[in-house]
Amino acid sequence: MAVDADVVRLRRGDLNALSDLITRYQNRLHRYLLRIVRQPAEAEDLFQQTWLRVVEKIRSFDASRNFDAWLFTLARNLAIDHLRRIRPESLDEPLANSWHSENVGDWISGKDHTPLDHALAAERRTEISEAMARLPMMYREVLALRFEDEMKIEEIAQVTAVPVSTAKSRLRRSLEQLRDALEARYPGGTWQ
Amino acid sequence: MNEHDKIRELLALAAADALTSAEKKQVAEHVRSCIACSNELEAWRPIASELRRLPTPQPSSWLVQATLARAEAKFTEQAEHAWNRRVMIVVVAFAWLLTIASWLVFHVVSGRFERLLGQQFSHTWISFAAFTALEWFAGGVAAVMLAIRQGGERRLA
Repeated sequence: MAVDADVVRLRRGDLNALSDLITRYQNRLHRYLLRIVRQPAEAEDLFQQTWLRVVEKIRSFDASRNFDAWLFTLARNLAIDHLRRIRPESLDEPLANSWHSENVGDWISGKDHTPLDHALAAERRTEISEAMARLPMMYREVLALRFEDEMKIEEIAQVTAVPVSTAKSRLRRSLEQLRDALEARYPGGTWQ
Repeated sequence: MNEHDKIRELLALAAADALTSAEKKQVAEHVRSCIACSNELEAWRPIASELRRLPTPQPSSWLVQATLARAEAKFTEQAEHAWNRRVMIVVVAFAWLLTIASWLVFHVVSGRFERLLGQQFSHTWISFAAFTALEWFAGGVAAVMLAIRQGGERRLA
């Protein structure tokens, strides 16, 4: 595995490397934290705490290891500690009042061509986002890591600290639950 | 569980592109001959596709700058902490060196003075012990004052 040059520079105490890393990971890390805690203000606070933890621990990080997995593990641990402290029930149960209720204009749009395509696609994604937000934390997380952060199963297992087989079955169950939720809400696949 | 059921369990993961190459091959072979599984796989594809295209929520514009400012402050604090630790190690090592060296110096000087001035300096170990105690007392006071000052700075930060 190639050693990340920015990580090596950060380990040497180069603050520009920190700036480069934060800029590079800002969207992915923020989105992941938002998927877990579902409250934008909390996600932003955890985002900052994660980078403070990176600064604190970077010297003990083995630069030949996967920085993505290490970073997301730090973020995950902080998010879970936060949820355990603030809303312990949210680690198992879905909550209302979540990030999916954000204005569509606050999000980066995908590649939809006409205004109608754009509107339909936005609606479809809102539906799928809403269904995803209702899943338990461990399922939302695994979906975010696989589909949004495009992590391999092995990396997901590393971040979530479970065996690969567990990560795999968690991914399968999360997809099944998501599909059940969509079909229950939109019978006959009308959400598509 | 028969082959069909096993493959069916893999279809969601196939759409998520989360299968090993052996499993992918198994699924591909099976869906070629099983219409039900082929349809099921097709039903999974739009879900996986939409999940991949979910929009990215945008963090607040100030977030990166605020994070950088806090992280830089932490970085500086850590560097300062490491520097203080190194200084402390050097100071302690120097103090020990001084103690050992002073013992040798006292020994040599007192031997000579003993010969010159008779019994007045025969109990040099008392002077040596007093000198060492004074050194360590001064060092202890300095360490406590440094710790108090650092604690105050941390509270203000």
